[in-house]
Amino acid sequence: MASTTSAPEEAPHSKRLPGDLAIWIFILAEMLAFAVFFSAYAFARAGNAEMFNLYQQTLNRNAGALNTLLLITGSWFVVLAVQAAHRDDNKGVSRNVALGILCGAAFLAVKVFEYAEKFGAGISLSTNTFYMFYISLTFFHFMHVILGMVILTAIWLQARKGAYTSQNSHGLESGAAYWHMVDLLWIILFPLVYVMR
Amino acid sequence: MQYKSQAVAKPYFIAAIGLFVGQILFGLILGAQYVLGDFLFPAIPFNVARMVHTNLLIVWLLFGFMGGAYFMIPEEAETELFSPKLALLMFWIFLVAGAATIVGYLAVPYATLAELTGNDLLETMGREFLEQPLPTKIGIVVVALVFLFNITMTVLKGKKTAIATVLLIGLWGLAVFFLFSFYNPVNVVLDKFFWWWTVHLWVEGVWELILGSFLAFVLIKTTGVDREVIEKWLYVIVTLTLITGLIGMGHHYFWIGTPEYWQWWGSIFSALEPIPFFAMTVFAFNMVNRRRREHPNRAAVLWALGVGVMAFLGAGVWGFLHTLAPVNYYTHGSQITAAHGHMSFYGAYAMLVMMMISYAMPILNGKAANSNKSQVVEMWAFWLMTIAMVFITLFLTAAGILQVWLQRVSDSPLPFMVVQEKIAIFYWAREISGVFFLIGLILYITSFFIGGDKKETA
Amino acid sequence: MMNALKNPANRAWVVLIIATLITWYLGEVGAAGTAAIVAMLVIAFIKGRLVILDFMELRNAPTMWRMLLEGWLILVSSLILLAYWISLK
Repeated sequence: MASTTSAPEEAPHSKRLPGDLAIWIFILAEMLAFAVFFSAYAFARAGNAEMFNLYQQTLNRNAGALNTLLLITGSWFVVLAVQAAHRDDNKGVSRNVALGILCGAAFLAVKVFEYAEKFGAGISLSTNTFYMFYISLTFFHFMHVILGMVILTAIWLQARKGAYTSQNSHGLESGAAYWHMVDLLWIILFPLVYVMR
Repeated sequence: MQYKSQAVAKPYFIAAIGLFVGQILFGLILGAQYVLGDFLFPAIPFNVARMVHTNLLIVWLLFGFMGGAYFMIPEEAETELFSPKLALLMFWIFLVAGAATIVGYLAVPYATLAELTGNDLLETMGREFLEQPLPTKIGIVVVALVFLFNITMTVLKGKKTAIATVLLIGLWGLAVFFLFSFYNPVNVVLDKFFWWWTVHLWVEGVWELILGSFLAFVLIKTTGVDREVIEKWLYVIVTLTLITGLIGMGHHYFWIGTPEYWQWWGSIFSALEPIPFFAMTVFAFNMVNRRRREHPNRAAVLWALGVGVMAFLGAGVWGFLHTLAPVNYYTHGSQITAAHGHMSFYGAYAMLVMMMISYAMPILNGKAANSNKSQVVEMWAFWLMTIAMVFITLFLTAAGILQVWLQRVSDSPLPFMVVQEKIAIFYWAREISGVFFLIGLILYITSFFIGGDKKETA
Repeated sequence: MMNALKNPANRAWVVLIIATLITWYLGEVGAAGTAAIVAMLVIAFIKGRLVILDFMELRNAPTMWRMLLEGWLILVSSLILLAYWISLK
């Protein structure tokens, strides 16, 4: 399906998992958690599709789409940062990580406006099952964006000291993998909660 | 023994094992009362025996944790304990307070005890697991704070390793969440809500950090695997524990008057609670397989692997069995809960303390490991206790399933006491398994007196 | 421009942006029902796979890890599809 891209430009090297094994175990556990949450949403909806469809219309789809663009772009900057590290381009690493953090901050800002509107309208976890899921899922993800930004900030501080090079990019790759996971989760979450009906 | 002050751990370990024996004896009395209602009545009524059984469990585990921390912290921080004298003083205070509390439970009716100990001043008594009289509760806080002060100061003046830090977070959490035992709102919903902040956040939160830290410590010592590798695993386990454990607390909020969303939050996050336990199992076996040396103390390694497996089974699998709200709707407060409680406490915490004792005790007695003969007996004790506990759990699970079926799911539900009679056969089987557990425990104690040069252990 | 597109990350970014806009557009015109659901799930699947292969850079990772992540994507999409299929019945 994803035949839009071909082999990467560098010469093919031996098979290697970027980043640390421990972070991947962690990523898998997180993804399992979201898989359970996504399925719970989908199956809870199946029992009450009309209600879910009705309240889905009240969500701010533009904000959701904008946030998707922000996370994708944030992820892209972080890939560029990893590539810069592989080229030993120190400035490139810190600049791109900083841009990634900015995208995350913009995501949070959009989300806060969205929440302010919903909570201002008196919507809470107890309003109905749809809003319960909408708030729980997006808030759980929100916390992950924050954690991702904390990790990226730690990496940025290291990057400014020139910690990441073609010889040593393990830490950067680990943080990048986590940040991409945050992106990946939103890519499922956005159509599921905001659009599909 | 690398540091002289580690020796203060020894009385703590001995007291832990002594109270453990008491806990098991009262467990056997309780088990008998399930089938012979008036056994030992009125000398030891069921409610008193139950209170003694559970309170002794908590107290002996706390003794084990403190002993383990006193043994581990000097070695991790690479410095003597801040004050060994303070540690010994606290030991006696804690032991006397604990013993006095148990005597109080047994000697006077609970209501009289409440009156005598000033429960009118600040009402904290009467809640499951937190039955302790006010002076005991205050004593626990004082002992815990002095203990924390002692080990925190030790870490501050020495090396700060990840393993020690995780232990400190766990122990501080233990102290902080115990404060909720003093908060007793009149509103029953709020009362239960915050009661879990002590009970759940202990066993499914901060205690798991202590578990991870002790396990990592013993694995480093016995396998010789690099500290960095073990620390990385520890970070992953700790984070997963906190995420699943904190929100997983929702599985206690299903039917106590809290908003409905807790049924979703509780179900989803607590369904993930087995993950950190699974990670711990993988961690323990992985490290032992990658070991760089054969440690002479094979019994300690066996306990470490046992903790990994039994914690996953008891806490992880048996917890998952009844954690989803639609299932828990039927199983709540049945013998399935009792089955889960038994195997998880044994698998996660009783075995953990025994692992620590198994590793530390020979060293405290001036040798790397016990004699081969002694270790063989200890390993027999390991298997006997563990298998007995598996049977206790299986019989209680069977009793629980039958109970839920006859009393709750069935089209023509039977009354509670009628059902209890019908499942009595499983209670008998559980009681017999309990006797085997006691034999295992006696064997375990015997192992301390076999072979070797020094025999003054107990 | 063509040079920039030689970088798989850049190509993935372009596709991801376009795909997001398509999903957004489908929402704007009120697309609903079987065809819309399948289309959006397929788009989400393609996007997820691009993130896994080109952002997480698992294209050249050991097969097990690629399978784990892609398997997650397949599992989640299938479960969602199943649940929506039930809701349409």
